[in-house]
Amino acid sequence: MYPQTKPQTAREAGLIQCRTCAGLSHPPAVLGKHEVMRCPRCGAKLRLHEHNNSIEVTWALLIASALLYIPANTLPVMSYYSLGAGQPDTILSGVFRLLGSGQWPLALIVFAASIVVPLMKLITLTFLLISIQRKSHWRQLDRMRLYKITEHVGRWSMVDVFVIAILTGLVQFGNMARVEANSGSFSFAAVVVLTMFAAKTLDGHLIWDITRQEERDK
Amino acid sequence: MIDYSSCVACQECGQLHRYNPVAPGKTATCQRCGSVLYRNRPHMLESVLALTLAGLVLFILSNWLPLLGLRAQSIEQEFHLLGASIAFWDGGYHVLAALIVLNTIVFPLFELLALLIVLLTIRYRWEPSLAIVLFRWMRELKPWGMLEVFMLGILVAMVKLGDMATLIMGTALWSFAGLVVTMTAATSLLEPFVVWRELGRDKRVPTN
Repeated sequence: MYPQTKPQTAREAGLIQCRTCAGLSHPPAVLGKHEVMRCPRCGAKLRLHEHNNSIEVTWALLIASALLYIPANTLPVMSYYSLGAGQPDTILSGVFRLLGSGQWPLALIVFAASIVVPLMKLITLTFLLISIQRKSHWRQLDRMRLYKITEHVGRWSMVDVFVIAILTGLVQFGNMARVEANSGSFSFAAVVVLTMFAAKTLDGHLIWDITRQEERDK
Repeated sequence: MIDYSSCVACQECGQLHRYNPVAPGKTATCQRCGSVLYRNRPHMLESVLALTLAGLVLFILSNWLPLLGLRAQSIEQEFHLLGASIAFWDGGYHVLAALIVLNTIVFPLFELLALLIVLLTIRYRWEPSLAIVLFRWMRELKPWGMLEVFMLGILVAMVKLGDMATLIMGTALWSFAGLVVTMTAATSLLEPFVVWRELGRDKRVPTN
């Protein structure tokens, strides 16, 4: 069921739309440089379109997480000590260990959540940023869906951090058997958190807004 | 200046629509991108309130009782929900420990309490300023509460430990599973459009 109205966006109507509660409001006539505009309904900060720095902030977060992606995958995330002998595992070698012990469904889950998802997030966000900056007309609806998926799926990468925490908390039998967390888990969690922030700061409306602007310029 | 009080903008793409009430059980979607604009779910507020109260009880149980136990050669280890972050704290990873406490305890609890206050405010027509702040933060912090991800983590850890030692399933495991189901149900039932409309100071129109 579609409520019918002329095709028009909030921005074209001269309104500001709150990204938290979707409430509409009129921008003030004058806004000082250090004044903060707040949504009259929910109190969240509002930003004029001209002050939208979503692209720059997202790039910064994306580059930081791409750099951290390297130690996250090369450093060991946890070690299993049994009778004094340690056995460090990276994310990938942990997946192979699961595969080796015949737990392939589990190996698949961990592989998807810990390796595919963060990598796909980095690639997808880069692609979206470039396509927005090039003011691309190409398949906006699909790109918006891609953005929504990226935004929602990111948190599941935390599963490996939780597994490490549970194993470390549970397997503490002194010299007999012991699990220890390693520095790779910190880099890995940082990648997850930073890409989550990156997905959040990227403004999905830009996929559509720029097209409209370009249409008017023609 | 146009009158925008009857307008609804799509949260995903910014498209403007005129607000038309939809029949019970129906959903209004954006004509450009197809995202949900608002839904009419009868008794939405009561259902979510019931789920929130159930969630609070399950939350207390899940934190209080042991989640998992491990037995190896007459030594027994017990593991509580907080244990995950204690393990990281003891290992010297204080930031990670803090992150996990936030993800698994603080944000879910905040979400439940905020929902409770928001729903009671709407139900008993209390002064809405506190509920507005709480509901805004609840919406902002929503992706950072990760109970269902932690549930998957428990399952993965259980399979990994399966052949190593005797695993004891704690009582909290069941209440935790219940909590995940309850909160997921509350999230999918909750209709932010209606809540914001109800909390809006100027237009306190009864819905449903």
